[in-house]
Amino acid sequence: MTILKRILAISRRELRIYAGRPLYLSCMVVAPVLCVLMFVTLMGSGLPTNLPAGIVDEDNTHVSRTIVRTIDALEETDFSRSYASYTEARQAMQRGEIYAFFYIPEGTTRDAISNRQPKISFYTNESYFVAGSLLMKDMRTASELSGLALTRETLYAKGATEDEAMAVIQPIVVETHPIGNPTLDYSVYLNNIIVPGIFILLTMLSTTYTIGIEWKNGTQKELYRMAGQSSSVALWGKLLPQTLIFTLMFVLCDVVFYKYMQYPCRSGLWSMMLLGFATVLASQAFGVLMFGLFTGQMRMAMCLCSLWGILSFSLAGFTFPVTAMSPFLERMAALFPLRHYYLIYVNQALDGYPVSYVWTSVAALACFILLPLLVLPRYRTAFLKRKYKP
Amino acid sequence: MKIWLHETALIFRDKGILIFVVFVPLMYPLLYSWVYTNEVVRDVPLAVVDDSDSHLSREIVRKLDATPDVSVAARCVDMAQAQELVKRHEAYGILRIPASLENDITDSRQTYLGLYCDMSSMLYYKALLLAATNVSLEVNKDIKVDSHISGTTDRQDDINRMPIEYEYVALYNPQSGFAAFLIPPVLMLIIQQTLLLGIGMAAGDSRERNRGRLTPSGRLYRHPVSNVIGTAIPFLLLYVLMAVYMFTVVGRTFTLPSLGDYGTFVRFAIPYILACIFLAMVLSSLIYRREDCILLIVFLSVPLLFLSGLSWPVSSMPDVWRYVSYLFPSTFGMNGYVRISSMGATLADVKSEYMALWVQTGIYFLAACAVYAHDLRKRSRQVALAKA
Repeated sequence: MTILKRILAISRRELRIYAGRPLYLSCMVVAPVLCVLMFVTLMGSGLPTNLPAGIVDEDNTHVSRTIVRTIDALEETDFSRSYASYTEARQAMQRGEIYAFFYIPEGTTRDAISNRQPKISFYTNESYFVAGSLLMKDMRTASELSGLALTRETLYAKGATEDEAMAVIQPIVVETHPIGNPTLDYSVYLNNIIVPGIFILLTMLSTTYTIGIEWKNGTQKELYRMAGQSSSVALWGKLLPQTLIFTLMFVLCDVVFYKYMQYPCRSGLWSMMLLGFATVLASQAFGVLMFGLFTGQMRMAMCLCSLWGILSFSLAGFTFPVTAMSPFLERMAALFPLRHYYLIYVNQALDGYPVSYVWTSVAALACFILLPLLVLPRYRTAFLKRKYKP
Repeated sequence: MKIWLHETALIFRDKGILIFVVFVPLMYPLLYSWVYTNEVVRDVPLAVVDDSDSHLSREIVRKLDATPDVSVAARCVDMAQAQELVKRHEAYGILRIPASLENDITDSRQTYLGLYCDMSSMLYYKALLLAATNVSLEVNKDIKVDSHISGTTDRQDDINRMPIEYEYVALYNPQSGFAAFLIPPVLMLIIQQTLLLGIGMAAGDSRERNRGRLTPSGRLYRHPVSNVIGTAIPFLLLYVLMAVYMFTVVGRTFTLPSLGDYGTFVRFAIPYILACIFLAMVLSSLIYRREDCILLIVFLSVPLLFLSGLSWPVSSMPDVWRYVSYLFPSTFGMNGYVRISSMGATLADVKSEYMALWVQTGIYFLAACAVYAHDLRKRSRQVALAKA
């Protein structure tokens, strides 16, 4: 029997195993599809709009109401709630009803007109990171505008046109150009890494689980015979169906993201699919390495894969940048496949730069794929001698 | 009572379960806090293309460099050179100052600075944007006063700069730190996930040893309610300790915001832990092998964190997912805990979460009893078959 025939025979046996229990398909197909669906719809709006916020207007004059109207016009905030005092607003915040509130103390107008420079305050709840940051931006603009509104009135009174007035109020304007994600879409930024991260985690876990189950059921010797006494043939045959299934999941995810949701993708769909394929191989290789290191200890291998998979969400550095972590962790980050996926994705899909700028990450993924070579001899002993340990 | 002792002994004999219910809850919070110990991003490298090269433009660059968020990494002669730096990730943004800067200001025209940001991480963008906006506002005020409406005294100048002053207060997380935002909810998530894993593994274990049934045979395990309570007690005791450890040791060591009251926290934690335990028992009806639970539960952590509404605001979440999130204790646990520990809320302030957790505890308790009762019926049928 040729090697290819053996591999295919083992793969067919593998598919029969999958058909036997719903667990396999639910982890390889149902869970990934649900994750794609969930994250795409959860953040469907891109940027959160109409965050609930409140106003405490103790002044209640023409000027303070102008300020309130200015703020209310801002897109991301919904200032429909008003409170009688600071304490009431703070309590509403603690109950989680509002994310922020604006405080205009009594006498603001009086002091402003008589040139005594009154002070208004805004409070945001920074325990909610995204909401807090978005509101801070809005409220900052609003209070800046409210102060300037008075100056502008003075200038208009002196006969200045709108352009002239603006040139006095705001001579220098900062125009921001977010490269690659011009609408600041949060879903583009999060989904592109979180979903592949979950795929990587599932790939690593199913790799170790399906290999380990052979030992658990005591069928590893049968598998070894089918492979013609070759560990690498046995592993290829076992993992080939999963390679195909998970690559298909990545393809599905790419199509949903870049075709259906129209996320920015400058490199074209093919290179992202290729990246998905390479990532699947790298994660499977990592799982094989883990099981090889703990020969036969399926639970330990799965625990380490979980640890690796969950930690990679932090160490990929897409939320909190790696450069801001301790130097040791910055180097450790290279050991996580998701980190390289992230760097290549940014380079390819988001920015559309030549791949040569991330050659280190491409090389790293290739190294991951070669990892099983280190433990092949250990698999040989495992197949022949080891038994399942709980 | 006997079941309780028996189950306790089982937990402590099994290395696999111990890893999940003791080692992970103890170590994971420390690991996370270490990763995020720096809290904020400082000195994001910025490339400057200064086409104006004037007194004013140099002042802008100097002021930017002086902000804590940004450091000017390079001064480039043209955009191409700056872009090259961004491509190599040696800079995460470009500030372009136009050649017409001085002229525009003298002629009273608005002038535009271009800020190009690398979007690979939102925090880089946020740091660059904040720093650039702050500097431009500051420079604007000076220009306004110096060249247009200068007053007679310094105080008058001050007031002209800003007729209404404002202050910005970031409540509960004064430096907008990332750890203070992420760690408290993650602590609660760890409690739920490790309980699901630990109890799931115990269930898989007893199925493997008791011919696919959740409980060993014998008179001791004949009643479903006592089975459920007996299994729950050791986990509850262990996890109250864990929760206290997270609340005090982890919070203090890493100076996370801790305004919370001790008694409030413990009273809140008890229904949370109970709800998690009973949910775990219900889910264990799906688990037939020890290792199954790892495959089914670990990956859930990430979606659950997002469903809680702590990262993505609940107000912009589709209703379907909000209802799904009500199924898991973690949603209420995380929200309540953040409010108690970071914002100093009392039990009355988190009343809705607190009540929701008790409701979940009740429902999942009944469901767990049903699962065990179903299992017992199957067992007696097995016994009857074996006799026949």
